[in-house]
Amino acid sequence: MKYMLSITGFFLSLFVTSQLSATLVDDLLQEYQKAGASGFDAARGEALWKKSFPDPKGAGKERSCTTCHTDNLRNAGKHATTGKAIEPLAPSVNNKRLTDRKEIEKWFLRNCKWTLGRECSAQEKGDILLYLRSQ
Amino acid sequence: MNTEPVSNIKAGALVWDLPTRIFHWLLVLSFTAAWLSHDDNRYLDVHVYMGYLFLGLLVFRLAWGLVGSHYSRFHSFAYDWSSVWSYLGALASGRASRYLGHNPAGSWAIFLLIVLGFVVSLLGIVVFGAEEGHGPLANMFSFAVSAIAREAHEISAWLMLAVVCAHILGVIVESLVHRENLIWAMVTGYKQQDGTAPSLVSRHGTVGVLLFMSALGFMAFSFRGYLTETAGQQYRPFTGPALPENAVWREVCGECHLAYYPTLLPARSWQKMMQDQADHFGEDLGMDNALVTNILTFLTANSAESHLTETAWKVDISTPAEEIPLRVTETPYWQKKHKKIPERYWKHEQVTAKGNCEGCHLDAKEGTFEDAAMRLPE
Repeated sequence: MKYMLSITGFFLSLFVTSQLSATLVDDLLQEYQKAGASGFDAARGEALWKKSFPDPKGAGKERSCTTCHTDNLRNAGKHATTGKAIEPLAPSVNNKRLTDRKEIEKWFLRNCKWTLGRECSAQEKGDILLYLRSQ
Repeated sequence: MNTEPVSNIKAGALVWDLPTRIFHWLLVLSFTAAWLSHDDNRYLDVHVYMGYLFLGLLVFRLAWGLVGSHYSRFHSFAYDWSSVWSYLGALASGRASRYLGHNPAGSWAIFLLIVLGFVVSLLGIVVFGAEEGHGPLANMFSFAVSAIAREAHEISAWLMLAVVCAHILGVIVESLVHRENLIWAMVTGYKQQDGTAPSLVSRHGTVGVLLFMSALGFMAFSFRGYLTETAGQQYRPFTGPALPENAVWREVCGECHLAYYPTLLPARSWQKMMQDQADHFGEDLGMDNALVTNILTFLTANSAESHLTETAWKVDISTPAEEIPLRVTETPYWQKKHKKIPERYWKHEQVTAKGNCEGCHLDAKEGTFEDAAMRLPE
């Protein structure tokens, strides 16, 4: 009985977290819409995620989101300069992802500036969030 | 004193009892091991434990010099300076008398070695206590006192090495002059003697075995950690002090790299780094003022100037006041300590970047950077 309870509890908590992330992403999408974005598209998000941008430091070198997060979001990534391991981004293998508003906004700011050389627009952030959630 | 020059050599007599011989060769071993391990921080534990063994042996020798067998007693080889001179004079003219025990010149070398041995060991314990914060004199002296003690430790060790060389030279010369292998005599304990003279020495086998077993037991106990270590849980001979912690600092700074302990840089470096957090080596950290203040308070309270560890002290005194290093690898102390690391270790998959302290330092996270907690990758 205790065993059954803990199993149920485990699945319940999984369900709750996934629902939380679902509502958090939806909340964020709504806010981005209010900021002027419209019609989010996961495919467009994926294209931006994989697009290369010139590295301001090295001639000929390029940067993209995949530089650190690799081509497969279900795999662990690696920080481009320090080499520190980055946990997988896909919510399907890492249920902590997309559950904290502050974290999402922090990494959007830090990583868009590093990769694109500027902050991401509300449209771009919404597209990427949809793409990430689908993984 | 009561050791008469011997003539009419015929048969063998026991001169060096077992404890004296075991003492002698273990002292050779511990001195050599401590000497060879002194320059490599990685082997600080070997240096320290061999030093302890060395000191323990000297303490035993003091006691044995009072209660041991005839030729091992200080009383039997307490020659005055004039006997040394006349012995050396006779040696120079090729007519040196033969002594069964220590000759007058040799006896002075023995006393000098014992005195220097105590000086070296005790200074070593002072340095170990002050610089590393371990041992019986842990944290008893300041880093400044320790710097002087360290110099004195090295000078007395060199002096001791000089006396060791003189001792070995004397043994070789006397072996040649009297056509007798004195090194072998320190192994077997026997020297040639007039067959009719009564033996003055008993073997003292039990004391010898006890001395040997104690030394062996001490070494096994000191190095037991190496027998049980695994690849994931490497043995750390010395654990550093528990340094102040800050959960926010550890989490925020540990996001992209090792949370470098504040002692690794001066306070002015941390101030500049946090001031420029919007361009942190090309990344905008996007911290708000409250977060910056929170982290900076922890960083400056425990910066190099805090002298919390040996590393802190050395980073502090070696970084010129006008310099504001923004990377640990820019500090003169870091550069000096890592100058001799071969390139292949930096390229090792476990290391890859010079800022990845954890690649070799087992206690990089704790920030203690103990000398012996450093392991180059296989």
